[in-house]
Amino acid sequence: MSALTLSGASGRVTGLEPLPHQTNTMVVNLGPQHPATHGVLQIVLGIDGERVTSATPHIGFLHRNHEKIEESRSYEQVIPYLDRMDYVSGLQNELAYVLAVESLSGIDVPDRAKYIRTALFELNRVISHLVWLGTYLLDLGAITPFLYAFRDREKALDIIERTCGARMLPNYFTFGGLRRDIHPQFWHDLVDFCAYFENILPEYEALTIEAPVFKARTQGVGLMSKELAINHGISGPNLRASGVNHDLRKDQPYDAYPYLEFEVISRDEGDAWARSKVRFDEFYQSLNLIRQCAYKAPRTGAIKGKGRVKIDEGQQIYRSVEGSRGQLGVYLMSDGGAGPYRIKHRSPSFVVLQTIPDLFIGQKFADVIAILGSVDVVLGEVDR
Amino acid sequence: MSPKDRPMLGRLSLPQDRHFRPKLVGYTAQKPNPMAVIFGYSLLYIAMVAVLILMYGIIPWLMRLPGSPFAQDGVLTATGTLIYAMTAAVLSFLVVAIAALILILALRKYLAIVQNRHGPLHYGPGGAFQTIADAFKLVSKEDFMPAKADAWVYTLGPIMVFISAFLLMAVLPFGKTWVLAPLEAGLLFIIAAGTLSAYGVLIAGWSINNKYGLLGGLRAAAQLVSYEIPLSISLLSVAIWVGSLNLVDIVEAQRSWWTLFPLIVPAFVYFIASLAEIKMTPFDLPEAESELVAGFHTEYSGMRFGFFFVAEFAELFLLPAIAATVFLGGYHQPLAGLWDFSEVLRNLGSGTQFGNFLADIYGLLWLLIKTALVAWLIMWLRATLPRFRDDQLMELCWKGLIPLSLVGLVLAVVFRLIFKG
Repeated sequence: MSALTLSGASGRVTGLEPLPHQTNTMVVNLGPQHPATHGVLQIVLGIDGERVTSATPHIGFLHRNHEKIEESRSYEQVIPYLDRMDYVSGLQNELAYVLAVESLSGIDVPDRAKYIRTALFELNRVISHLVWLGTYLLDLGAITPFLYAFRDREKALDIIERTCGARMLPNYFTFGGLRRDIHPQFWHDLVDFCAYFENILPEYEALTIEAPVFKARTQGVGLMSKELAINHGISGPNLRASGVNHDLRKDQPYDAYPYLEFEVISRDEGDAWARSKVRFDEFYQSLNLIRQCAYKAPRTGAIKGKGRVKIDEGQQIYRSVEGSRGQLGVYLMSDGGAGPYRIKHRSPSFVVLQTIPDLFIGQKFADVIAILGSVDVVLGEVDR
Repeated sequence: MSPKDRPMLGRLSLPQDRHFRPKLVGYTAQKPNPMAVIFGYSLLYIAMVAVLILMYGIIPWLMRLPGSPFAQDGVLTATGTLIYAMTAAVLSFLVVAIAALILILALRKYLAIVQNRHGPLHYGPGGAFQTIADAFKLVSKEDFMPAKADAWVYTLGPIMVFISAFLLMAVLPFGKTWVLAPLEAGLLFIIAAGTLSAYGVLIAGWSINNKYGLLGGLRAAAQLVSYEIPLSISLLSVAIWVGSLNLVDIVEAQRSWWTLFPLIVPAFVYFIASLAEIKMTPFDLPEAESELVAGFHTEYSGMRFGFFFVAEFAELFLLPAIAATVFLGGYHQPLAGLWDFSEVLRNLGSGTQFGNFLADIYGLLWLLIKTALVAWLIMWLRATLPRFRDDQLMELCWKGLIPLSLVGLVLAVVFRLIFKG
C-alpha cells in the first residue's frame, strides 16, 4: 500500500469540472509497474476520454528507511548509504553530506581534492542528464537516443570506475577530501571524455531537442509557472526553466566552484521543452567546468585534509548542493556521539512530485508521460 | 550556451576519437560475421522467392500441361480453378509469413546497426533463424484468455486484423500474369481490405476488458479510419492518371515512365498514410508502450498476439509492395522503355513458356527490391523519430494530408488533361 498521498498546493485532488458532454470518468492506475514511471511511482489518474481530470501520486513503494538506518551508523559508515539514495548520481549525494560534516567539525579540504570532487560532481551531472535524456526519449517513443545515451553514460561511468572502483556506488568522497588518490590518467580521461562528448552532442541535439516531433510533443506542454515553482520549492533545472535564475553553485558556492567561471542557465518558457533545453545546455556547461577543473587543479598535494570528525552535542546544520535534479540537502543534528542523532535528506525529486496534480489536470493522457519525463524524478531519491 | 561560446582551454586533449573508451576497462562481444549474415538472409529471401515461383509459375504451368485433368486448351476448368485457388491460398499465406519473418529480422538487425548493437546473433547464420525460433515459441505457448474477456470477439480481433493484411496478396501483381485475382477494381479492393483491420483492432481493444486496451483500440480505430481517407484519395489520383483501377493495367502503364514523377504529391501522401496504417513510429500511438503498456493487444499472448505481430509485418511488406506497384513501376525494371532486359529474357525461349517464366522471375526481383527500399525507409523513420500525440496525429491527417491529397488529385486531373488529352 502507498505510504503517503500528496496533493497539490491548492489541496485539489478531485480535479476539474466535468465536461459539458458528461461521460464516465475512467480511473487508470499508472504504475507502480508501468514502463514510464521510472521506477515504482503510482499515479492514479482519472481520465475522461484522453483528458486527465484528476491525478493522485502515491509514493513509498521503494522506501528503504535510509534516514533511520543512517542514524544508527557512525559518520563514516553513512556514506555508502548515500550512493544508494539517488542511484543515478551517487557522488552528488555524498558531497552534500560530506560538506555538512566538514562544516560542523571544521575540517579543511585541500584545493586539489576540491577540484577533483568538483570535476567528479560535474561528471555525475552529465551521467544523470544522460539517463534523463535517454529515458525521456524512450517515453516519447524513440528508442535510439536511449541506447546512444547509455553508450556514452557507460564511458563516463568507466572513468568513475577507474577512479573510485565502482560504477554507480563509488563511496569515494570522505571528510576532508577523497578516500584514495586519483590515478595518473585521471585528468586525461576526463578531458578525453569532454572532447568526445562535445563532438557527439550536436548529434544528440538533432536527434532529440531540435527534432520537430520532439518539439511538437514538448513545447507548451506541462507549463510550470514561476509562482508555482517557487511556492512548491522546486529547484534545479525545473526551476531554472521557469525563469528563476537560481543555482546553488553560484549562490552558495562550495568546493571549487568559487574558482570556476560559468553562467547560470535559465529559460523563461517553463514548459517541458524549456526543461529539456536547460538540461541539454548543462551538458555543455558541465563539460566546460570539468575542463576548467582539469586545467586549474594542482597536480600535486594532499588529497585529504587533517582533522577528525568531532561534533558537539546539539550542533546542527543544513548544507545543500546543486545536484543534477536540484537542491540536494542534508540536515544533520548531533548528540555528541559517533554518528548523527538525526539526519534528514532533502531530495528534489520528492518536491517535484507535489506539483503533479497541478501539472497533470486538464492535460492529455499522452502529455502525462511527456510531463512526468520532463521533470526528471528518480524514485530511489523520492522514497529513500 | 551554444557550442560557439565555449572557451577553448589549451590543448591538453588527446586525439578526439568518436569511439573513445578508457583503456583499462574493456569488454569483448561476439562480432557477427558479415558473410554469415548475408548467407542467412539470402536463405530466407530464396525461400520466399521460391514459394512465389511455385505459386505463380510452376503450379499453374503444371496444371495447364497437355493432358492435365484440370485444364482444357490451356484454360483451367472449374475444378482446376478451385484446386488452384485453394493451393494458392496456402502458398500465399506462406509468402506473407516468410515476408513477415524476413522483415521482423531485418527491422531488428537494422535497428541494431543504428543503435550500436548486434541484434539477433546466435540462432542460425548471423542470427537469421531467430524469428523462426520466436514463431515456434509463440505457437507453443499456452492459449490464454482473460477471465472477463468476451470470448468470441477476443478470438475474432486478431483474425480480422490478419485477414485484412493477408487479403492484399490476392490483387498484388508479382508479374504480368502472376496475380491471383486480376480484379478490374483492384485499387478499390485494396482500400476495402485495408479498412477491415480498423474493426479488428477496435474490437480487440474492446474485448479484452482492459483500460489500456480500450484506449489503444479507440486510438487505433480513430487513426486507421482517418488515414484511410488520404490513402484512398492518393490511390484514386493514380486511377485518374492511369485511367484504370486494375493493378496490372496500372503497372503496364508505367513501363516507360513511373507514376511517381507526375504524382509525387499523392506518392508522398500514400507513404505517410501507410506509415499510419502500419502503426509504425511516429504513428505508433495505439500500442505506445510508454503510455498504454501494449495498447489493444495488452492481454493477447501466444499465437493470438502472434497474429497481430505477423499482420503488422505483413503490412510492412504489402503496403510498400503496393507503393512499389502503384508508384514505382511494379515489376518493371527502371527505364524499361529504353531498354528492357526482360524482353531479352522473353525472346530467349522464343515462343515457349520458358522465356516468359524467366522474364517474370526477373520482374519479381525488381518488385522485391523496390518493396525492400520502401520498407527500409519506414524502418529508418522508426529508428529516428519519437511518436506524435493523438491530437497532433489527427491534425496532421485532417489539416495536412487530406488537403494535400486533394491537391494531388487535382494535379492528377490536370496532368492527365495535359499529357494524355
